[in-house]
Amino acid sequence: MTIGIPPAVTEETAPFWAAAGEGRLLVEHCTKCGADGFPPRGICRACRCRETSWAEVAGPGTVYSYTVNHQRWLPDLEVPYAVVLVEFAGHPGVRVPGRLRGCAPDEAAVGMAVEVGFEPGPGGFAVPSFVAVR
Amino acid sequence: MTAPEAAERRAVISGVGQSAIGRRLDRSGLQLTLDAILAAIADAGLDLDDVDGLAMFPGGGAANLPGYANGDIYEVQDALRLRTTWRQGQVEGMSLPFYGPAMAVATGQARHVVVYRTVKEGSASRAAGGRPAYGSTKPVAEGPLAWLLPVGMLSPVVQVAPYATRYMHDFGVTREQLAWIPVVQRAHAGRNPDAVYRDPLTVDDYLAARMISTPMCLYDCDVPVDGATAIVVSAAATASDLRAPVRIEAMAGVIDGRPSWDQWEDMDRVGHATAAAMWSRTDLRAGDVDVAQLYDGFTIEVVWWLEALGFCGTGEAGEFVAGGSRIGTGGEVPLNTWGGQLSGGRLHAAFGHTAEAVRQLRGEAGARQVTGAEVAVVTNVGGYEAGAALLTRL
Repeated sequence: MTIGIPPAVTEETAPFWAAAGEGRLLVEHCTKCGADGFPPRGICRACRCRETSWAEVAGPGTVYSYTVNHQRWLPDLEVPYAVVLVEFAGHPGVRVPGRLRGCAPDEAAVGMAVEVGFEPGPGGFAVPSFVAVR
Repeated sequence: MTAPEAAERRAVISGVGQSAIGRRLDRSGLQLTLDAILAAIADAGLDLDDVDGLAMFPGGGAANLPGYANGDIYEVQDALRLRTTWRQGQVEGMSLPFYGPAMAVATGQARHVVVYRTVKEGSASRAAGGRPAYGSTKPVAEGPLAWLLPVGMLSPVVQVAPYATRYMHDFGVTREQLAWIPVVQRAHAGRNPDAVYRDPLTVDDYLAARMISTPMCLYDCDVPVDGATAIVVSAAATASDLRAPVRIEAMAGVIDGRPSWDQWEDMDRVGHATAAAMWSRTDLRAGDVDVAQLYDGFTIEVVWWLEALGFCGTGEAGEFVAGGSRIGTGGEVPLNTWGGQLSGGRLHAAFGHTAEAVRQLRGEAGARQVTGAEVAVVTNVGGYEAGAALLTRL
């Protein structure tokens, strides 16, 4: 059984995936202007400074939008499941795609609160898997 | 204010041609392509020896050479936070496929350019036992897909569905309303002998269809097919040599949001900057449009363009299409009169849409002809790829 296809890891994204394995959500953080960004690009999208570091996002986050997938795109894909796009009040410019856990897929909703989390994903990677706040 | 004299008016679309189109054709890509190109050149009233430009869309081959093409243009644009009014280089990087050829003939680099698009996605999806996921043929997800495929956003359907979710949530638009887009397009396909799905579709059929990725059901998704389309773009100065050229009144392709399905900032407003740029290049207005060929990889993409182009306000498309009368061939905005990609087949990148616009403007659209059509709008994708063009009878 799988939930997807593993990511190619690059210079820009290696710290994200390493932290994900520890259950931490890292986003790019500008050392000059303090803006956060996601996905990491090795450059600040706000001030275009090349000196970037990382900030940990704790949550809770808010679901910007979602979908419940019913189609078996891969032979061993278990359906249905909800995927969400999550934004964080203290981190403008950050929106993170992930799975949704802690509720039935059809309970997903725009605006719902979720906690940061991860679950075992393809290729041994931990992938974002947000948890519904009850 | 009078619109500036747009350089695209030095170009015309002189011919369109298509191969057979079907769910599964036992023909090679090369033969389908040759069928389409030869038909397009004959349609233009030209000979092969007149052609001095050729474009394949999208550019092929390079993607399969290890290490040959790096620096994903979407990631580069996002990283640099650039707003672009012209772009080239990615799979679909020409906004609308005839933009590059139009610039070539407008600047005198060529007189007659053929641009073609050949798909065999019908055969490919059957061979894969269904519509394959974008990345399922690769061991790892690269570029923008690296954030989507690992969490199960495995297909464009899943990647676009959140736009529909958010839009319907914010404006109270319903599936019962949006059903009319595929339903009306199917009725149009019934009058197009080349469409792949021609049997009538009802709103009840739509509501009973299986869900693919909420809120998008089977009939919200375009149909993978085999087929080729070729378009001939000629210098306007050659018009007297051409059988029935169609003017390019205005064209634009503005990317003013993050160039990504998941990161696009406002999923309620897609295509608006492109539409505004197109209108700024012409004195014509939305009310002048006689027929609209709006990209419909998914139903929601039609919604974007109806609103972006100003046929209705933002959030009003559900009400606008409900009942179907406004988007029928006798309505205010006859929509995707060939059936669109939803019923006519996924010829992709607005190749099918462009071919139909040309036929409508010439009065050659047979049983689906919109009476007296003089102005057509054609659009492509929306969001991170966006093109809109206005074509007029010469």
